[in-house]
Amino acid sequence: MEMKKSNPENSNEKNKISRRVFLTSMGNTATGIVLLGSFGVTLEYLSPNVLLEIPKIFKVGPVNSIQPNSVIYEPEQRTFVVREEQGYFYALSAVCTHLGCTAKWNDSGVAGNPDAVISCPCHGSLFNKLGEVIQGPAIRGLDKYRVQLEEDKLVINTAEKVSEDEMILKV
Amino acid sequence: MKILNWLTQTKLWQSIFRTKLPISTNLDKSLVIFNSLTLHIHPVKVRVRAIKFSYTFYLGMISFFLFVLLIVTGVLLMLYYQPAIPHAYNNMKDLEFVVSNGSFLRNMHRWSAHLMVITVFLHMLRVFYKGACKPPREFNWVIGVVLLIITLLLSYTGYLLPYDQLSYWAVTVGTNIVQYIPITGEKIRFLLLGGSEIGEYTLVRFYVLHCIILPLFIVLLIALHFWRIRKDGGLL
Repeated sequence: MEMKKSNPENSNEKNKISRRVFLTSMGNTATGIVLLGSFGVTLEYLSPNVLLEIPKIFKVGPVNSIQPNSVIYEPEQRTFVVREEQGYFYALSAVCTHLGCTAKWNDSGVAGNPDAVISCPCHGSLFNKLGEVIQGPAIRGLDKYRVQLEEDKLVINTAEKVSEDEMILKV
Repeated sequence: MKILNWLTQTKLWQSIFRTKLPISTNLDKSLVIFNSLTLHIHPVKVRVRAIKFSYTFYLGMISFFLFVLLIVTGVLLMLYYQPAIPHAYNNMKDLEFVVSNGSFLRNMHRWSAHLMVITVFLHMLRVFYKGACKPPREFNWVIGVVLLIITLLLSYTGYLLPYDQLSYWAVTVGTNIVQYIPITGEKIRFLLLGGSEIGEYTLVRFYVLHCIILPLFIVLLIALHFWRIRKDGGLL
C-alpha cells in the first residue's frame, strides 16, 4: 500500500481510495445510520399511540329540555353549548386562545361590560357570547365546534372546528 | 498519639489517603490538596483575597450546597410519593399532614428550590460584574448559563408534582407557551404532555424529568463547571 501511494506517476493509483479509507468511511456511515435510526425510533417511542383521553364527540339534550337563552357548560370537554331565543344552537370552546386556561361564562358580563359574558381568570381576556375577543391578551376568538342534530339530541364534535358562518344550527 | 502514628503507617490508611504523613515541607502541604478529591476543588495555591467572603459572597458554593440539600430532601420525599392521578395530590397532602416531619421536609425542598434559583441568579450577576465571564473563562460562563436553564427547568417540572390547581394551570400555561414555537411547537408540547391534555402521562414525564434526567445533566455539568474553574486559573 505504502509503495503504491508514494508513486504519483500512476494517475489511476492516485485517485484510488485506499482500503483503510474505504473501510473507515463504511464503518462511520454504518454507525451514523444506526445512531440516526435509534434516535428516530426513540423519538417515535416518546409519542404515545393510544391516549385515554375524553372522547371528542359528545351529546347534549334532548333539545326540547334546553331552555331558550341558556348556556350549558360541559366541564369534561370544556365547551359551552348555547341556545339562543330563536332556537339557534352553537357550541363554543371554553379554552382561552391565549394560553389555554378555562374561561368562565357570566350572564351579567364582567368589568362593567354587559357584552363580556366570557372571561378568562388567568390573564383577563374577555369575549362576547359569540366568542369574539373584546379585550386581550387573547388575539383570536374562541374556537367554534360543529353542532349536529341526531334524533332529538345535539351532537358536538370538538375535533371539528368551524367558521362563524357554519357555527349555528337552526332547529 | 502513638496509636495515631501507628494508624497512619498502616497499609490500609496509606491506601486510602495517598499523602505521606507527617507534613513538613511546602511540597507536602500542596500534596494534601493535590491528592484529595474534595480539597482539590481549589488549586494548590489560592490568593487569600480570592477566598474572602466579600470577593465572591460564596454564591456558587451556596447554590451547590442548596443543590445537595435538594437532592437529599428530594430523595426522601420520593419515598412517600407516587406520580399517578389521584395519588399524587393525596400523597402531597399526606406528606403535609400525616407523615412525621413531612411538612418540614417538603418546605425544606420548596424553600431550597426557590433560594437556589435566587442564588444562581445572584452568582451570575456577581460573575458578570466582576468580569469573570471574559476569556479564558468564557466557556465556563456558557456552562453556567446552561446550569441556570436546567435549574429553572427543574423548578418548573417540580411544580406539577403536587398536582393541585396551581400546578395544573401553571403547566397548562407553560406548555401553551411552548406551543408558540414555530413549526415544532405543537409536537414538543405533545411530547412534553404525552398527549394533547395534561394527564397521567404528563405527570410521569415531568416526574422522570424532575428526578432523573435533569438532575443527571446538572450533576455532570456542575462537575465540568468546577473543573473548568481550576483549569481556567481559579476564582476571579
